[in-house]
Amino acid sequence: MKIVVLVKYVPEPTATWKFAPDLTVDRAGVEGRLSELDEYAVEQAAQLAEKGVASEVVFLTVGPAKAAEGLRKALAIGGDKAVHVLDDAIHGSCALSTSLVLAKALEKEGYDLVLAGMASTDAELSVVPSMVADRLGINQATFAGELSVDGGAVTIRRDSDVASEKVTAALPAIVSVTDQTGEARYPAFKAIMGAKKKPITTWSLADLGVDASAVGLGAASVRTVDVSPTPARTAGTIVTDDGEGAAQLAGFLADRGFI
Amino acid sequence: MWVRFVLGLLMTVVCLGIAGRRAFFLYRVGQKFQPLEAERRVDAGSAVRAEVAEVAFQRKLLRWTVPGVAHFLVFWGFMILLFTIVEAFIGLVKADFQIPIVGNFAWFGFIEDLFALLCVLALVVFTILRIQQAPKNLGRRSRFFGSHIGPAWFVLFMIFNVVWTLLAYRGASINAQELHDPANADKMGFLHGAFASQWFAAILPKTNVEFWETFFLLLSLGVLLGFTVFVTYSKHMHIFASIPNVAFARRPRALGALEPVFWQGKKIDFEDPGDDDVMGVGKVEDFTWKGLLDFATCTECGRCQSQCPAWNTDKPLSPKVLIMGLRDHSLAKAPYLLAAKNEAGEVPEGGIPEAAAAEAAKPLVGPQGDESAHVGEHGITGEGVIPFDMLWSCTTCGACVEQCPVDIEHVDHIVDMRRYQVLMEGAFPEEAGIMLNNVEHAGDPWGLGRSKRLEWAESLDFELRVYEGDKIPDDVEYLYWVGCAGALDDTAKRTARAVATLLHEAGVEFMVLGEAESCTGDPARRMGHEFLFQMLAMQNVEVLNEAGAKRIVVTCAHCYNTLANEYPQVGGHYEVVHHTTLLARLVADKRLTPVQRVDAAVTYHDPCYLGRHNRIFAAPREVLGAIPGTQVQEMPRNREKSFCCGAGGARMWMDENLGERINQNRADEALATKPDIVAAACPFCITMLSDGVAQRQQEGTAATTVAVTDVSEVLLRSVRPDLVDSLSASS
Ligand code: SF4
Ligand code: SF4
Repeated sequence: MKIVVLVKYVPEPTATWKFAPDLTVDRAGVEGRLSELDEYAVEQAAQLAEKGVASEVVFLTVGPAKAAEGLRKALAIGGDKAVHVLDDAIHGSCALSTSLVLAKALEKEGYDLVLAGMASTDAELSVVPSMVADRLGINQATFAGELSVDGGAVTIRRDSDVASEKVTAALPAIVSVTDQTGEARYPAFKAIMGAKKKPITTWSLADLGVDASAVGLGAASVRTVDVSPTPARTAGTIVTDDGEGAAQLAGFLADRGFI
Repeated sequence: MWVRFVLGLLMTVVCLGIAGRRAFFLYRVGQKFQPLEAERRVDAGSAVRAEVAEVAFQRKLLRWTVPGVAHFLVFWGFMILLFTIVEAFIGLVKADFQIPIVGNFAWFGFIEDLFALLCVLALVVFTILRIQQAPKNLGRRSRFFGSHIGPAWFVLFMIFNVVWTLLAYRGASINAQELHDPANADKMGFLHGAFASQWFAAILPKTNVEFWETFFLLLSLGVLLGFTVFVTYSKHMHIFASIPNVAFARRPRALGALEPVFWQGKKIDFEDPGDDDVMGVGKVEDFTWKGLLDFATCTECGRCQSQCPAWNTDKPLSPKVLIMGLRDHSLAKAPYLLAAKNEAGEVPEGGIPEAAAAEAAKPLVGPQGDESAHVGEHGITGEGVIPFDMLWSCTTCGACVEQCPVDIEHVDHIVDMRRYQVLMEGAFPEEAGIMLNNVEHAGDPWGLGRSKRLEWAESLDFELRVYEGDKIPDDVEYLYWVGCAGALDDTAKRTARAVATLLHEAGVEFMVLGEAESCTGDPARRMGHEFLFQMLAMQNVEVLNEAGAKRIVVTCAHCYNTLANEYPQVGGHYEVVHHTTLLARLVADKRLTPVQRVDAAVTYHDPCYLGRHNRIFAAPREVLGAIPGTQVQEMPRNREKSFCCGAGGARMWMDENLGERINQNRADEALATKPDIVAAACPFCITMLSDGVAQRQQEGTAATTVAVTDVSEVLLRSVRPDLVDSLSASS
């Protein structure tokens, strides 16, 4: 069974982001990393390979040149090789066009099971796996807290506030995993060095047969109108208990519609 | 004469042959270990100075007065006895031999005998100490717990035998001289002063004097030679091994900076490591031969163990037992190391004894959760040579290195083993991985990120100068390295504000790096993640060099150690001062005037990385002492003997669920001094001690008014009492 894991190289969430004149994140001005949420998918794929369930694990990313670092990180955790779709025309793409590029790359690479994180830590949309499933016409099972593969089908546990569902989907399928699946291992330096020897293939839009006009900022389905910094936190309210503390707290919450 | 010569010669040849064979064997084993690190330069000057201080004057031993003096006497007793021994050996062929010149004088014999008796006196002291401090009575609290007790008694017994038999021989020799060669009675002048030998002369039979002389000569040489053989097979090896061990030790001490990672003596280049480079120590022979010499030199005295915070809080780590374990393993594995290997580098089946093969197959560090792992009175059991929890319990506090009279480098060895675990195996307490990830991506161990690095300064009442990428202007005296804790931890932010305010108050122009600062890499390095450390260090050094930083002031003991001692390894050379040193100077220069009385009993805790690792003991006490009203007090364990808070060695970022909590132990010690304020000079110590004190406050056993705080904050109360409230409100 061949697994392809969709991974994203995101701007470091704790850093200060700067925006370019076209209102996209200035990627040169901020460090990047493999999205923490994708590391869970990478770990699951590595585990399936270790269990002998997966015969091949490939990481796929769409992103700027530095996104190769994210692939190296994934390859240090596990997997055999990686594919990097790199094309200047992709800059500024929305989720819809990203899913188009991913779908085309998946078709070209071939897969039985596609894994992805539950969301990216930058845009946090969580929709790309579903979009890819739709474009490819394959089954999707999202927000897996646990997953297992058995005889041509993938079974996941999907937790919600009210119930824990067990969902099975026939392969080929795409599954997004949550942080419940378990922390990714911390790769040893030896594994990091080993990852440098694993192949990364780079494809352009032309290689995938995607028309450049279908992607990028121009084709985006959403447009950023303005960017402004988050207003600074205002000082909190301190309630001193002079016997009326409880009432004051209740009043505070009631004023804001919490109770 | 012939008989005694032949017998004496035979004994000597046999015993020295056995001892020599053992020495050659150890030498060959040592050759299977790694060569010395290229940077470990042993310069003759400091080696000689160290030999004089550590060996001749027994500097570290004398820190413990009673056993120190006793050891001093045995050491010098034996040095003087060497003359007696030379006399005895030559006595084999020339009965009336005397050492040229000095041998003529009575005082020479007197000195020889005096030292022999002092040696016996010391043996009595050792006997009393060993009985008082026997593990039987004190359990884990005994420094001898885990040492080889039987052989230690045997050594005392043998030294006693060496002394009395030599004296008896000299006594017999006196009788022989007087009876058989009266004309020559005055010839061996030294014997006139040999008062103790004369006692023996008096009680020995006056008949057959030549027989008795020969008898005691052979007996004393036999005892001496037998003892020598025993020594080469025992922990008493130190009497030879300590000399080269002290000569090759890291100077001025194996504390402060850690060394980079070496393989085959060369520094590993993490950008482009060799394919076969082994990072850290994964097998015992990955230590250098100096490592093996360390193991062989350990006297099992337990000074290190008595100070170790891990051991004293019932964790499975004693630096002594660790070193002994590595020695036992090295020797048990030796046949494997020395055996001929086939092309695959393996020893052919049956080529070595089974026990050695089993020992060779043992992993150096055991797996996590190994139920069979145990560190106890009879050494270590478990799947690995060193159990997982033994390796990871170390706080790198350096108390062991500080104490060790023969300069063993425990911390270096522990970190080297951690390096292999982290870099090659990816094996370490899982929870520390969060810290490593945070440091790598966010630049601080909490994962809060660079964008939060200036929030601490928001409530300052002056404009903070922040580096923005241009060279630091000339009027800036100091770059203030705030550190992750100072910038991001709520308690430490108060310290950062106090220090900034005090510098401003004193008219010191300073600047901070703001978002350009990141973790120095200390926790990564102490955990063994050298690669991450190198990355962070190079990145920080690049920023600092670009900014043209020359003088840096730091509030964190760990940052201080890294910036001052370790960044030179990656091309960062700065004049680094700790804030307590700078504040002490500003107070002395009257640039800061403590005005307000602070009527408080202040107990100062020495942070390991400020005190032991960097010898800054006085400055923080000077600052506290300069404040009117304070009464500066000491805990029983202070300065060089300070007890760790439990945070060092990246332990801050690991769970502590074995034994008593280290911070609790130290906080209790501080509380026992009845302080109003517990002061420290490192944000991690403050966090640890605060937790420990808060625990007792909650339980109602400590006054709720006891505060744990940085030295600078106490000073601020005196210099700018008006600002204390606004600067300590959390932001
Ligand atoms: S460094 Fe400290 S904790 Fe580690 S072994 Fe030595 S004394 Fe114990
Ligand atoms: S390591 Fe040093 S201090 Fe510890 S027992 Fe051995 S000789 Fe003594």
